[in-house]
Amino acid sequence: MAVSSTVNFELEEHRLANGLRVLLQPDSSAPLVALHVMYHVGSKNERSGRTGFAHLFEHLLFQGSEHVPREGHFKYIQDAGGTLNGTTWFDRTNYFETLPANELELGLWLEADRMGFFKPGITQEKLDNQRDVVKNERLQSYENRPYGLAFETVLESAYPQGHPYRHPTIGYMEDIDAASLEDVHKFFDSYYGPNNATLVLVGDFEPSEALERIQMWFGGISSRPIPEPPEVVLPSGYGECRREIRDKVQVPRVYLMFHSASFNEPEFETVDTLSYLLGDGNSSRFKRALVYEQQVAAEVSVFTWPTESVGMFFAVATARPGVDADHLEASMRLVLDDFKQDGLMPEELEGAQNRVRRSLVGQLSRFGDRADFLAHAAVLRNDPNYLNDAFSRYGLVDEIMVEEVAESVVDEDRLTVLHVIPEETS
Amino acid sequence: MGVDRTRRPPPSTPRRLRLPEIEGVTLSNNLRVEFVPRREVPEVSLRLILESGAAAEPPDQAGLSELTTRLLTEGTADRDALHMARWLDRLGASYSASSGYSVTTISMHLFSDVLVDAIKFLATTVTQAEFPENEVKRVRSERADEIDRERDEPSMVAGQALISELYEDGLYGRPVGGTAESIPLIERRDVCDFYGNWYVPDGALLIACGDIERGPLIEAVEAHLCKWQGVSQRVQAPPDPPRKPGRILLADRPGSPQAEIRVGTIGVPYGTPNHHAIIVANAILGGLFNSRINMNLREEKGWTYGARSSFGFRRGAGPFVVHTAVESGVTAQAFQEILGEIKTMRKELVTEDELDLAKHALTLSLPLQFESARQITSKIAQQRIYDLSEEYWEVYRNRIEEVTAEQVREVCETYLARDRMTLLAVTDAESVLEPLSELGTVDLV
Repeated sequence: MAVSSTVNFELEEHRLANGLRVLLQPDSSAPLVALHVMYHVGSKNERSGRTGFAHLFEHLLFQGSEHVPREGHFKYIQDAGGTLNGTTWFDRTNYFETLPANELELGLWLEADRMGFFKPGITQEKLDNQRDVVKNERLQSYENRPYGLAFETVLESAYPQGHPYRHPTIGYMEDIDAASLEDVHKFFDSYYGPNNATLVLVGDFEPSEALERIQMWFGGISSRPIPEPPEVVLPSGYGECRREIRDKVQVPRVYLMFHSASFNEPEFETVDTLSYLLGDGNSSRFKRALVYEQQVAAEVSVFTWPTESVGMFFAVATARPGVDADHLEASMRLVLDDFKQDGLMPEELEGAQNRVRRSLVGQLSRFGDRADFLAHAAVLRNDPNYLNDAFSRYGLVDEIMVEEVAESVVDEDRLTVLHVIPEETS
Repeated sequence: MGVDRTRRPPPSTPRRLRLPEIEGVTLSNNLRVEFVPRREVPEVSLRLILESGAAAEPPDQAGLSELTTRLLTEGTADRDALHMARWLDRLGASYSASSGYSVTTISMHLFSDVLVDAIKFLATTVTQAEFPENEVKRVRSERADEIDRERDEPSMVAGQALISELYEDGLYGRPVGGTAESIPLIERRDVCDFYGNWYVPDGALLIACGDIERGPLIEAVEAHLCKWQGVSQRVQAPPDPPRKPGRILLADRPGSPQAEIRVGTIGVPYGTPNHHAIIVANAILGGLFNSRINMNLREEKGWTYGARSSFGFRRGAGPFVVHTAVESGVTAQAFQEILGEIKTMRKELVTEDELDLAKHALTLSLPLQFESARQITSKIAQQRIYDLSEEYWEVYRNRIEEVTAEQVREVCETYLARDRMTLLAVTDAESVLEPLSELGTVDLV
């Protein structure tokens, strides 16, 4: 049951004169259309003292523009029976909606107004309101959640001062407070030109007609110079980094993060397959050893972040009561050492590949998710055809590749360790 | 380049909504199989629905149903837990089993070429589980630890505290996953008895959607599930719980920068005659992003990342809950704003614009709700579990469109009485006690 290329989605790529990249993936199996606009800007582009800005900015793009009133995006899309959202990450920011197919034009109008006519709509009042909303998002999703500050602590430890991946996308409270209307205008001018964006359509539309409409809505928006992207490099000579923080939790949790292959590198699929092999499923190495046999962990997860540069490979385990963080870490590292020493069995790889395949197909079944996949492939890998090639690329991963990648990635020089321990034990 | 940017572009001709056409077969052992072929992507969603769940367990054994579902994959007479895990992991299918109040659901999502083996796996868990003593002990202690960890999560604490207050010892007041007291008392024989009594084909339903063909599907189900025997009992809906006066409850979480807050009361079951008016009312009050509560607390005040309300329709009367997390400093004001919005809904008619927005959002989104195989099996499950009529989705649009502003006001008047609303906050008690006391007597929980 090897992974094979089993999907073949029709795909067209175009570029408007102003640089807007357009990807069209027609599929009439449901009377829906997904629109997705991805801007090649994220938290890595933020300047020091303005962490969280890219994400705050994303909130502002839901506050209306020259022709769209405040909350208009939400109102119009819901009124049409659609869904919408936006997200920000290290390397990109995206805005997307899925609509009944006969409302394609509505989506194009809203996205074009965002891209071409944002500045007249923004006010200090809107900025202040969304700043408060975002601060509450930080409280709700990070500060007031168990283990909520763990990832930002890992990043702080794993990257040197000034590294673009060092700070969390949500940003620090004092920086969120510092954002000004002038910052908003500058950020828009710098990064939100059509030549820094990719528009993806997936769904029930006629491609030539859709392209014509896209040209009408977006063609008149001028391109502008995009600042050079920051250099994102693997921190070298950094050695193993180690942190411990306390939190309102009952039991410790251990984070191991290895600098790894990015989404752009040829080893990405192999590292990703390794993460499935080690941590997905009850028979996977980590779950079997830590949860089932030794019973030192309640939960384990192993995953890879598909970043544009410098990948990150995580193994995270939550302790059972009475197990301390050092013991748990030692058990985790033993699993990794054993794997490097003994290698893998063919059926482990076959299972991991089948789990990857199931997960991929799950990511491609809904139009909105498929558009998301396509946009990431285009923006971060410059390879829209990855939509169709991903299956075969994962299928090519073999035992030797997995063993080699484990050897190179699971390396103390690439490792950051974080222990989150209960406050009471202080 | 003549586009008019000054107004919303009009929609083109709507495409027809195609609701899934469900085919069905009943096997000789009374297992019902329902399926919807969808060939676009090579995936299949399977859901097995068993009449079971928390309503089927003795009240002092809360969590028995959930523990049983967790143990389904932990061994048969000739396959131990590890063998089962390896089998599943090689298939690459996802498998999850969970208990609700009145049913247990086992879901699998898979690449379509492993369908037959996946059905065999599923059949093995529901017909041959043996519950080895050591695995029962392990899973029981895992669950006990999990309950302990749930205390770390303010939203879990708030949710549980609210339903305990509303329903007390009634079915919906008990956590489906059991309690720190009940879980350690559950023994292997309890699990075996529960499995023997409730894991039966009669009354069970297997739903499949995706890249399937009728012939091979039925053949695989027949091959692996036709020897399964047993006669079902119907789980009873809980008796209508007494409606109590609302209280103000405060759970201390020292140093908490935010308050998880809930405003809730006992709501209604699925089959209520004014069902559709309730759906529309909730959409306007707190169901949509553009609902009154979210617009007020988030977009006007900036006190929260988001606030929503919901009616939990079940076989019995599930809760109505407003849930949000706000900066601790505005806890009391947030309660007042929420109560104010509810009051306005009870006293005044909603505007035509609001009514239209809610109706459109609810009805025009149907194609999005029936897009993927998983969504379709989930919708069919919902329809069967709650005995919704065969035409439920066919007539949904018309039923929603018929709702009037006066009906919206009436259902709010009937179901959202101020004196039955319980207010609950999980936060640093010291910092909110005084302002909260201005709303009434505060009880610490």
